[in-house]
Amino acid sequence: MRSRLATVALLLPAVVLVLVGFVYPYLTMLVAPAANPHPDVPGALVNAVTDPYVVDIVARTVRVAGMATVLSVAFGFPVAWAISRASARWRGALLLAVTFPLLLSTVVRSFAWIVLLGRDGLLSKALWAVGITSGPTQLLYTEFAMVLGLTQLFMPLLVLTAYSSLAGLDPTIEEAARGMGARGGAVFARVVLPLALPGTAVGAILVFAGCMTAYTTPSLLGGTRNRTLATLLYQEANTSLDWSAVSALAIIMTLLVLLVTMAMTRISAIGARR
Amino acid sequence: MIRRRPVLSLLTLAAVVFLLFPIVVVVGVALSRGDVLTFPPSGLSLRWFGEALTYQPFTDSLVTSAVVAAAATVIALAVGVPATYAVHRRSPRGRRLLQTVFLSPLIVPELVLGFALFQLFLVRAGFDALAALIIGHSVLLLPYAVRVTGASLEQADPALEEAAAGLGAGPVRTFFGVTLPVIAPGIVSATILSLLTSFNNVPMSLLLTSRSVQTLPVAMLEYVQTSFTPMIAAVSTLLLLLTIGVALVTERLVGFQRVFGRSAP
Repeated sequence: MRSRLATVALLLPAVVLVLVGFVYPYLTMLVAPAANPHPDVPGALVNAVTDPYVVDIVARTVRVAGMATVLSVAFGFPVAWAISRASARWRGALLLAVTFPLLLSTVVRSFAWIVLLGRDGLLSKALWAVGITSGPTQLLYTEFAMVLGLTQLFMPLLVLTAYSSLAGLDPTIEEAARGMGARGGAVFARVVLPLALPGTAVGAILVFAGCMTAYTTPSLLGGTRNRTLATLLYQEANTSLDWSAVSALAIIMTLLVLLVTMAMTRISAIGARR
Repeated sequence: MIRRRPVLSLLTLAAVVFLLFPIVVVVGVALSRGDVLTFPPSGLSLRWFGEALTYQPFTDSLVTSAVVAAAATVIALAVGVPATYAVHRRSPRGRRLLQTVFLSPLIVPELVLGFALFQLFLVRAGFDALAALIIGHSVLLLPYAVRVTGASLEQADPALEEAAAGLGAGPVRTFFGVTLPVIAPGIVSATILSLLTSFNNVPMSLLLTSRSVQTLPVAMLEYVQTSFTPMIAAVSTLLLLLTIGVALVTERLVGFQRVFGRSAP
C-alpha cells in the first residue's frame, strides 16, 4: 500500500506537467482559443481546407519536405554506409563532422545560405562564371533555396539513423553471401539494403516530419512569397484577429504530420516484411 | 578505404563539405570589415564581435535563454527522473501508456504547441512570457530526460539494487547509494542535451515573447529578417565557440557520441 503510494508520488509530477503544459493548452486551442468571443474552430477548419491559398501552401510544404527527404536519403544513405565500413579512426571523425551541426541553432545553420544564395552570392557568381547563367541570379527566396537549406539541416539525422542500422548489421552475413558467389552489387542490393531499410525508413520519417514543421529555414530562405504551413501559421498568429483560423491551421499541420508519419511507418513495415 | 572505394569516398567528402561549409561561411562573414554580407569577406576585422557583445537585444535575450534553459532542464529532470525510475523499477500498471504520455510532446509540431501555450497562458491567463517559456520548455525537454535516463536505467543491472536491499538498505538509501550513481552518466547526458535543446529552440519560443522577454535565437531571427549586417554572423560565431566548448566538456564527462550520437528522439 505504501509502495503503491510512493510509486504514484514519483509519477505524479511528470503527469501533471504533461497535462498542464501540453494536453490542456492543446485542448483549449482546439476547441476555444483565447481572445475569441465566438470561437468557431470547425467552421474555420472548413474554410481553411477549401481555401485555394491554404491548399497551395500545404502543397508547397509537402513538396519541399518531400524533395529534401529524397535528397537526404539519396546522399545520406551512401555516406552512412561509407562511415559504417570505414576504419575506427575515420569513423569517429566522420561521425563527429556529421553530428556537430546538430548542436547548432537553426538560425546559425541557415544563415550561411542567405550569404551564398543572394544575387551577389558565391553560387550566383559561380553559375555566371561557368556560363549557365548570363548574369547575377537571385537564388534566395525560392523553393530551391528552401530544399537546399532543409536538406542540409536534416541530412545528419538521416545519416545517424541509417548508420546505427548499418552498424548493427553482422558483416559475416555479407561474407556469407559473397562466399556463395554473389557479386558486390548484388550483395548490397539483396542483403544489406533490406536489412538496413527499417532503420533508414525511420530516419526518413523523422526528416520528413521535421521538414514539414520547420520554421526558421523556410522563413529565412523562402521569404513571404514562398510560405509553408509553419510560416503561414506564425504570420496568422501574429496578425490575424481570428484565432479560430489559426487553430484550424494548427490542426491541419498536426494531422498532416501524424498522417504522413503513420503512412510512412505502414509502408516501411510492409517493405520490411518482404 | 579511400583507395578501395574512390567514388564513395568522394561522395562522403562532398557530403561533409556540404554540412560543414556553412560554418566556414558564418565565421568568414563574422570577420568582415565592411557592412555588407559577402563571402569571402572583403577585409578582416573584429569590429562586429564588439558590436554583437554590446547590442542589448542580444545580451538581454542571452540571459533569458540561459535562465529558461537552466530552469526547464532542472524541472524536466526533477520531474522526469523519478518518473522514469518508477516506470522502470516499480512496474506500475499501464507502463506503456505512461511511457507514451511522457514522450507525447514529441508528436506535436513545436510551433503548434507554442501557439497553444501562447493563447492559453499569455493571452487568456495573463502569465508573464518568461513563465510560459519555462513551462513550454520543460514540457519539451521531458521526453529527452525520460528517454535518456530510461536507457541508462535499462542498462543498469537491477541485481545491484536487489543486493543493496538484501543487505538491509531501505529504498531511499538504495536509490541514492546505488541507483543514482549508476545512472549518473545518463543524467549528465540528459542535462547537456536538455540545456542545448532548450537554448537553441526556435519554433516554440517564437510566440512566447513580450516587450522585455525573448530568447536569443528568436532575437537573432528577428535581426536577420530586418537588418543585413555581419553582426548576426558574429553572434553565431560566438555561439559556435560556446557549442564547441559544450562538445568538449561532453566528451570529457560522458563521451560525445553517447549524448549526441543517437538520432534525436
